[in-house]
Parts: sequence; C-alpha cells; structure tokens
Amino acid sequence: MKGTTSVWLVARREIDERLRSRTVRIMTAISVVLVVAVIVVPSIVHKPAKPAPVGLVGSSTQALAPALRRAANAAGAKVRLVDLPSAAGAQADVRDKVLDVALIVSGAHLQEALAANGLSPSAVARALTPEPLAVAALNPAPPDQTAHSLAAVVTALLIYTSIAMYGQAVAQGVAQEKTSRTAEVLLAVVRPSRLMAGKVLGIGLVGLVQIGATVGAGLVANALVKRAEIPSTVWVLLPMVLLWFLLGFALYAFACAAAGALVARQEEIGFVTAPILMVLVISFLLMYVALATPTAWWLAVVSFVPPMAPVLMPVRLALGHVPAWQVALSAVITLAASVLLAAIAARIYSFALVRGGARLSWGEALRLSRS
Amino acid sequence: MSADRSDGPVLRVARLRHRFGDHLAVDGVEFTVAGGEIVGLVGRNGAGKTTTMRAVMGILQPQEAEITWRGHPVGFDDRLRFGYMPEERGLYPQMKVLPQLVYFARLCGLDRATAERRAGDLLGRFDLAARAQDLTIALSHGNQQRVQLAVAMVHDPDLFVLDEPFAGLDPSVVDDLSTILRTEAVNGHAILFSSHQLDLVERLCDRVVILEQGRVLATGTLDELRARLPRRLRVKVGAPPGWERGLVGVQAESEDVEGVVLDLGPGADAQAVLAAAQAAGPVERFGFERGHLVDVYRELVQR
Repeated sequence: MKGTTSVWLVARREIDERLRSRTVRIMTAISVVLVVAVIVVPSIVHKPAKPAPVGLVGSSTQALAPALRRAANAAGAKVRLVDLPSAAGAQADVRDKVLDVALIVSGAHLQEALAANGLSPSAVARALTPEPLAVAALNPAPPDQTAHSLAAVVTALLIYTSIAMYGQAVAQGVAQEKTSRTAEVLLAVVRPSRLMAGKVLGIGLVGLVQIGATVGAGLVANALVKRAEIPSTVWVLLPMVLLWFLLGFALYAFACAAAGALVARQEEIGFVTAPILMVLVISFLLMYVALATPTAWWLAVVSFVPPMAPVLMPVRLALGHVPAWQVALSAVITLAASVLLAAIAARIYSFALVRGGARLSWGEALRLSRS
Repeated sequence: MSADRSDGPVLRVARLRHRFGDHLAVDGVEFTVAGGEIVGLVGRNGAGKTTTMRAVMGILQPQEAEITWRGHPVGFDDRLRFGYMPEERGLYPQMKVLPQLVYFARLCGLDRATAERRAGDLLGRFDLAARAQDLTIALSHGNQQRVQLAVAMVHDPDLFVLDEPFAGLDPSVVDDLSTILRTEAVNGHAILFSSHQLDLVERLCDRVVILEQGRVLATGTLDELRARLPRRLRVKVGAPPGWERGLVGVQAESEDVEGVVLDLGPGADAQAVLAAAQAAGPVERFGFERGHLVDVYRELVQR
C-alpha cells in the first residue's frame, strides 16, 4: 500500500474521533465567542463621536471653512460648520451649548483689509488657507494602544491554547496507543513514521478547523461591524493566526508525539510533556512583557527563535508594523526547525512506542534510539 | 492464494537472537510453520514466546535473525498478509466495533467496500453482528477478545501470529475461537500461536515448539514429542499392590483407584508385564497411557 494512503487513513481516524469529542466543540465555541467579542464589543462601547458644531460668523470666517475641515481631519476630529448671520446669535448658541465654538471676526473684514493693502484676491485666498502642519512623532506610539494590546493578548491566547491543547492531544493519543498495545497491531501494518505523521496531520487538521472557524467568525464580525477599532490589523492578523498556529503546531506536535511514546502509563504524560509546554508557556508570558515594550530589540530577536516565534511573531504583528520579510524569514526558520524535529521525533517514537518497561527519560530515549 | 500443507514451510525462523540489556530473551530460536498448519509456541513466562512473535511481526528488530516468508526475507509488504494479535488487548476502546475492523482492514490495503464486507461477515461468524455499532469498551472481555481475533483475520491473512489468544477466556469462548482457527487452518492458512495452557495447545496444534529460557527445547508433532516420554502402562489387577516388583525395567510411577501406572524402561517387555499381572489376579484394565504435552513439558524442563 502507498504510504500516503496509510497516513491519510490514520489521519482520518483521528479526525472522526476528535470531531465527535465534546472538548473540541466547547473549545471551538469559546474561541469563536472570544474573538467575535474582542472585535464587536469595542465598537459598541466606543460609539464614533458626533461632529462638533462650530459656528462661523461673517464672510471672512466662512472663508476659513476648508482650512478648518482639513485641520480637524488631521487631528482626527470631525466638525460640523454652521454659517451664522449674527455674532450675538452665535454667542447665545454657544452659551446654550448648541454650538461648541463660534468663530467671530469683528471689526474690519480681513479680506477687504488685505485687498486694500494691494493683495490680489487669489493671494488673499492662499494666505487664508494654509497647509496644515505635518506632525512627525519622534517616538511613535500606535494611535489606539488599547485595541492593539487587546489584539495581541487574544492572538497569543488563541495560538497558545490551541497548540497546547492539540499538542497534548497528540501526546495523549500516542500514549493511549502505546499503553493499550494498539500500537503493536498498528506497527505490524503501518510504518512508525507514517503512523506518527498521520496522527499529527489528523489532530492538526482538527485544530485548523477550530482556529479556522474562529478566524472566519472574526473576519465576518469585522466586516459586519465595519468600523472596528483595529480595522487595518484584523484582516492581516487573523490569517496570520492561522499560519502561525500551523507552524507552531507542527513544531510542538512532533515533540509531543515523541513524548507520548516515552510513557509507561497514561498518567505520566504530564511529566514528559512538561518541558515542551514550559517553552510554550514562557513564550506566552513574554507576550505580556512585549505589551509594555512593543519595540524592544529582544522581542524582535525571540520572534525568530522557533519555539517562541509561533506566539511572539503574531504578537508583534498585532502590536504594530512588522516588515513582511521578517515574518517570512521567521516562518521559514520555524518550518525548518519542525522538519528537523520531526526527524528526531520519528526516531524516538519508533523506538519507544513498542518498548515495554518503565517510562523513559528524554536523555535515555535519545541515547537508546541512536543505537 | 492459500498455501496447502504440501507446499512445506511458509514461515521459517532461524538463528533468532535478541538481548534486552543483560537479558538474553531469545538465543538461537529456530522453527517453521507450514500452510494449513497450527504451530503452538509453548513455554513459561519469559521463555521468549512474545519476543519471537514480535520479531516475526517486525515490531521488534532482532539483533540477529533469519526470518523468511516463502523463501525470501520477510518484508513490510509480506507482513500486510499476516494477522497479528498481541498478548494484551490492542484495540481502540472508544471506537465502535465495525468501524474498528474496517479501519484495520483498510490499513492492510483493502478498499473500503471489501473492508466493510469482510468486517460484516466476520462479525457474523463471531456472533457479534448485533454489537457492530457498540463501543469496543462496552463489550465483555470475551467479546473484546473475539473482536481482537477478528481484527487479526479481517484482511484474510496467509499467516496468523497470535500471542496468548485464549488467556483469561471462559471455556465456551475458547471452544468458539478454537473452531474458527481450525477452520482457517483447514483452508490453508498458517497459524502460529503461543500459550501456556498446554491442554489447549494439545487439542489445537499440529506441531509444538517448546521454549525455555530463550532456547528451543524440543519441536515436533505431538506424537513425536510423546515418543520422548518413557512408555507408560496402566494396569488394574484384582491383587494386592506390589505384584509388579521384580519385573525388569519396570518402575511404578503412581497408583490410584484406576490401578497402577508403570514406566517401562529400555529393556522392559509389556508382554511380560501382562503375564505377571494375569498371574497375580484378574486383570480389569491393561493399556498404554497416552502421554500428555504437560508430561513432555515437565520431562524436558526438569532435565
């Protein structure tokens, strides 16, 4: 039989078994609700501010209207300009809070005064509509810091919980087959590397369905809300969550498969997966440090380190702009690492899966599987 | 597809040697299995039965071995035509019975339709048709063992490798499964199975391989093995005990209400024993005792 057939048969069994499981359904529901809430809730809480009513009295102030609008846009505010006939009426409106501000130029009409001093009408118009000043921040902060932090936390949480959950599922599945001796029946007809690949593929696809449902729900919610707090980021970030879940899962799942093969009893899974999940937990915790220092050099560095990249590269993306080449390079490094890890894991797995006796330590497994 | 007995050995195991750390698990094990033949691997725990079977199935890579199938070294594709039942249960507890059988059949290369048909047929043969959609874990021990044997058979293998298939089963299940194995053998399948239930091996097997501490102590048909036992007579005479004393090469082995059991040594003459018995009193019973495998085993292991 062709190898791909047996890999797919093994993967199919995993998918069938896990899509029936309640845990997977509940986890999917929770992550969908979480992501939709993060997108929808801010737009309900922060209704877009109403344009501020500004009264303009007299033709010279009314000539300032285009400049006012431009200045308001540059400042991120909206104004509603109202032409008013009399200064007294405008003052009354401001007192009654009908207007926020009224611009009143009393005395000589500015335009007429300028014209009288020999300026052409076009020169007068130019003088009265200056270009708004360009603002250059020397230490740029993202405009909506809270929304970006929230996006970073949710992204990290989603990727971290999914990799942890599905990585554990791989370890448990392998341990179950080992301790129930199903592995013996399987290994008589399936090569160990294919058995491992099928298991990782099947569980990974279930994880992908969960994350995909979450990301899809997020994109739909974002489209419906239209004016989300982080509109530009969401479209990039959600597909990135999918990509980095896959890369991270591949990396961690092969390690977990090897871990599951080390145990003698199902209860020992915690011991063997602890060192693996510790790395994942650390990268999740580093996300909190990253929130405080989103542009720190160390964050850029760890977002290229394979076991940390799957959580921290998307966190960087959520916190602000990351050059595309950095994302691509980190993805390639992570992929290469998971291929290497898969090869090592396959060796440990084949050796440890049919070995009786007590739980193997990682050191023993590496040493013995080499001989 | 199926080989018959006249084809001679299909599976040949030679020079099988494997060491786990300091423990030499098997040390030069050799035997053959022919098509249509049921061969029993016999021996106490740790004698090397499981190691031998795992080596045949390729689950264990022995440090030294020549294992051939129909004349060539056993390869991965040959093993797809083997059916294996490990010593402990090896099923997915949370999987339904029929899908479980179909899954294993497909892993052995059967297409979906054939796999489903074979699995359905087998469940009928094992009286499990009504349990097809039950979770495996919900089945009794005996029924799970039936499913396990069904998994080993579902792809219609040429060779069965069954490690302690009858351990812990009640006699009626043992009888059912024995009948199924007999039928498979009659249809030309080669069967290698291990057990420490010697009476069962005696009932079921054509040939026996006795293992002890990783070595083959003896191998042969039951008759060949029995020939290794001293000839044994059971005689019941209406006379006080001791009438046989003085007969050359004759030794009383045991005595009960059914008479005395006499071991006949090399120089002993059964006719002389009969004459002595008749001289002593009325002979109610006189005949050769059929030796049992357990006697052969004791005889061999004690030496």
